Amino acid sequence: MPLSRRGFLRIVGSREEAFSGALIAARGLEAYYAEQQAPGARSRPVLPPGVEEIRINSNENPLGPGRLALDAILGKFPEANRYPFNSSPADTNLVDAIAAKYKVKPENVVLGAGSQEILKNAVRAFTSPERHLVTAAPTFENCTNTAKKLKHGLKEIKVDANFRLDIQPMIDASPGAGLVFFNNPNNPTATVHGAKTVADFVAKVRSLAPQAVILIDEAYHDYVTDPSYESAIPLALATPNVFVARTFSKAYGMAGMRIGYAIGRAETIKPLATLKMPYNVSVFGVAAAIASLNDPQHVADERERNTKVRDFTVQALTSLGCKPTESQGNFVFVDIARPAKEFREACAKSGVMVGRDFPPFEKTHARISIGTMEEMQKAVDVFRNVLRAATTTAGGKGRF
Amino acid sequence: MLTRRDFVQAAGIGAAGALTSMIGARGREHAVWSLLEPTLHAVEPGIICLASNENPVGPGKTVLDAVRTAFGPTGAQPGRYSGAASALTEEIAKQFKVKTENVVLGCGSTQILRSATHLFTAKDKPLVGTIPTYEECAGYASMMGHPVTGVALDSEFRIDLDKMANAAKGAGLIFYCNPNNPTATYVGARATREFIARVNRESPDTTILVDEAYFDYVTDPDHDTHVPIAIENPRVLVARTFSKAYGMAGLRMGYAIGHPDTIKKMAEWDGGGGAGSLNVLALHAGIAAIGQPPDFTANERARNTAVRDFTMKWFADRGMKPTNAQANFMFVNIGRPVKEFREACKAKGVLVARDFPPFEKTHCRLSFGTMEEMQKAVAVFGEVLGKKVTARAA
Repeated sequence: MPLSRRGFLRIVGSREEAFSGALIAARGLEAYYAEQQAPGARSRPVLPPGVEEIRINSNENPLGPGRLALDAILGKFPEANRYPFNSSPADTNLVDAIAAKYKVKPENVVLGAGSQEILKNAVRAFTSPERHLVTAAPTFENCTNTAKKLKHGLKEIKVDANFRLDIQPMIDASPGAGLVFFNNPNNPTATVHGAKTVADFVAKVRSLAPQAVILIDEAYHDYVTDPSYESAIPLALATPNVFVARTFSKAYGMAGMRIGYAIGRAETIKPLATLKMPYNVSVFGVAAAIASLNDPQHVADERERNTKVRDFTVQALTSLGCKPTESQGNFVFVDIARPAKEFREACAKSGVMVGRDFPPFEKTHARISIGTMEEMQKAVDVFRNVLRAATTTAGGKGRF
Repeated sequence: MLTRRDFVQAAGIGAAGALTSMIGARGREHAVWSLLEPTLHAVEPGIICLASNENPVGPGKTVLDAVRTAFGPTGAQPGRYSGAASALTEEIAKQFKVKTENVVLGCGSTQILRSATHLFTAKDKPLVGTIPTYEECAGYASMMGHPVTGVALDSEFRIDLDKMANAAKGAGLIFYCNPNNPTATYVGARATREFIARVNRESPDTTILVDEAYFDYVTDPDHDTHVPIAIENPRVLVARTFSKAYGMAGLRMGYAIGHPDTIKKMAEWDGGGGAGSLNVLALHAGIAAIGQPPDFTANERARNTAVRDFTMKWFADRGMKPTNAQANFMFVNIGRPVKEFREACKAKGVLVARDFPPFEKTHCRLSFGTMEEMQKAVAVFGEVLGKKVTARAA
């Protein structure tokens, strides 16, 4: 008995509901503030009343899941008490639905509690003190941090002059590697490599490091508009020791639901299946993800919306004298010619939250996620003021 | 000392070679046992599921309202990474009158059990657990190539404390599931405290993981949590879950309470908050659930106890002996292989649990549904078990 979005809003949108929502949200937020403002923690200012926070720091989809996904969750309320293998649909049905989307078998898919579980387990399974991780700098840090924590070998290759993954040095670093992490598009630099480059890269790494597993993380796949780009999933299915990580956190709008997956040849991803936490995706997550897979229009609309807002943001930043990279994600990486920390803290005072430091570019570049058009218009006004004020400060006269 | 392979063979299961991948791929409720039965399928409407120790009533309105509210006013909130892990941690700390540094959250207690096994066992530091017990720790230890020592239960199907303490010498971790799944028996709080003290004395480097998943269903008068010990003693850790009395198995939320040093190690190894493994709806559901007045769990316990008394009496009246069940399930000697019984019940719309070696030729684990479901279920059991078990009392 699915509810329409309108029906959903009628249920949740009443004053009482909104009020309790605000209460819970406030409780969470307070805790968050407490955490952030604890000694030694990154502190963030408390906003003046009436100023709403614009959260463009985590590469989230600002609109969230589609109506069908929300309805699917509401429809599963009677099964909150069931384990995800007893619910209908069950977690195996989500594996089946993903397999069907790519015309592969269920054994080609492993579910993760977000793609973070896939990435962490890949490092645990495929690297060791002797078999290092090859990754980029900067890139999504999950693999890097896991390898450090385990004290496994690590080679970080700085991105090239255009902020793209630097192909040749990554190939050169691969002999003896256990795992090569290839984030395409790359977070935080937002750049992408085309299908042919990726295929050549894989072939070269495989010839130099036949034992290495290549993990191609396509978290931002749905946001790419570059025509030379294609998913590496067909390549992974055709090639031993290659697999692709995907997530429902980005274009599908379900970062809070924690659902990702690995897709590749069964023998390649078997160690991930072995390490997978049992029942790692909730009954609601399973239902919402299946509903989303049956709603390709939601992702298509999100890509179109993001492209429009990304174009606006890139243009606005360029007109402010900043230089963004060629963005293919739902975020931009932009040269603001000053430390990201300074920029971030100044923006936060006006309620605009932008991304963390990304060494080795923390002295020059900020990562800004793409919010709604309305949010980005407001954010650009804040950027303009902050950048202007900072310029004045540099002259010694600023108020900041 | 047994390795997992030996453990499995000792427990009467072959095909150990296929084991590791099975455990990983299917999880504990499938784990070893999936070698013996096909993959579980979604429960069809109208089917009575007594197979997975779930709460048949669900989490209730307060919790489901919190899930709905977590959507946010426009439904966009599930699109955000959640910051609510710290709020849930605070609520749990408040409930148990401990500090937030004593609490770590997990994606179900699964993540907790795995982290503990990871941190406290090694190639030379075995895991010790009863046979049978809940398989997550043993499965994970075996996957890591860490040895597993299985300890037989006593004649009443309870944890044999003497045997367990002896096996614990030099062990890394004792998995102490109390009430024990699948046998439903409970060791009183006093005996458990004495056991902990003895292990601390005789094997000071051994950590004891007390799994209190079924805590709220216990009616034994000598009942108490071991949280106060855990927060003081770095060698004791308590695992809890929202999957049982709180009716949230589908949400995936569990936690551990322990000494700050232990909790810190757990969080560092596999922290679950933020962009980790914890979903936003479960976080908000957990906050709402644990903040309910204590009569929520008291009511659920009373509901379960009535159903448990009814079901246990039905079997006892027919000469079939259940163990002293202290949980939302029972373990009963039906005097025939469970597989046979299970398949016959399934054909009549009632699902009962998998095999639990070494008792798969005699004992069945039955979870308690609602009273109405159990009344229907015992009618099916009567048909399946046949005329020779007609009630003596009837």
